[in-house]
Amino acid sequence: MIRVAAVGDIHMGPESQGTLRPSFETLPGCADVLLLAGDLTRHGTPEEAAIVAREIKDLGVPVVAVLGNHDHHDERPEEVTAILRDAGAHVLEGQAVVVGADGARIGVAGTKGFGGGFVGRCAGEFGEPLMKEFVRYTRRCADGLHGALKNLDERDCDVRIALTHFSPVPDTLAGEPLEIYPFLGSYLLAEAIDTGGADLAVHGHAHAGTEHGMTSGGVRVRNVAQPVIGQAFHVYHLPGRHG
Amino acid sequence: MTDTSPPPPQAAGNLDYRVAHLAEHLASGDLAELGVRLELRGDAVLLTGTVPSTQCRDDILRMAREELAGHPVHSDLLVAGTSSPDHGEDLT
Repeated sequence: MIRVAAVGDIHMGPESQGTLRPSFETLPGCADVLLLAGDLTRHGTPEEAAIVAREIKDLGVPVVAVLGNHDHHDERPEEVTAILRDAGAHVLEGQAVVVGADGARIGVAGTKGFGGGFVGRCAGEFGEPLMKEFVRYTRRCADGLHGALKNLDERDCDVRIALTHFSPVPDTLAGEPLEIYPFLGSYLLAEAIDTGGADLAVHGHAHAGTEHGMTSGGVRVRNVAQPVIGQAFHVYHLPGRHG
Repeated sequence: MTDTSPPPPQAAGNLDYRVAHLAEHLASGDLAELGVRLELRGDAVLLTGTVPSTQCRDDILRMAREELAGHPVHSDLLVAGTSSPDHGEDLT
């Protein structure tokens, strides 16, 4: 059995230091990996990233993260990424990593993702350059996720997980105002997950959403935004390829 | 005929615009807070959502009461839980 811990949207600021660390230190007893689904900081400053780094350093389980929109606000995502990597985290954007212990091979493919909306209610690549770029950016994120999942397909993983910040499905947005769904996720991410292949998809971003959803291809989706799960993390038990 | 009705209120002072501006300030300021919902309830405004810390909750409420002076501000803001789960979910 593979045990996957996950949380997103921890939004750490100066007064946050140490608030999650006590719970994170229990991870070696209950999980094989910790996934961080973006919005780890409030403004995406190096100072806030350093707070997150101290919270996740030397936890005793691998940490795999994607950034969120808040982590981009200060327009220094490369610095935020570098600080988290210095703390030992794998920070993914259109990339994949295989982690695990005791012979388990846990494959994680990640992208921040972006918005656009869901089938029948989505933005199109049409009109003003800004509008076209909006959709093209989401498409690039989804293509990166698809490529990363296909990469994992060739690496004999026990489980493959798609990690995003924005949501691939509307199911896990239930509770959010319908009017803002296009800013919360895109079906292009779900299409990438279904065609690339995954055993679980994990995202954040939708604080007022719900935890459980599923892609049209049958992949389970979990919204692990901290306000949704109400705890430092949730744990998902996956059987793995070998039972 | 003389119009004796009171002059229309300043449009910029309408409560809905003030609430919209508050939402912008919550997002763009030090709090970077996009997760608080601001709902008009008659003459009052209700704040709901989950925020990262008690300090954030207090700062948001203080800002709302300053910017919406003259209107009651009700808060049902929660602080995000930080406990460990006592079980996992089986995805078999």
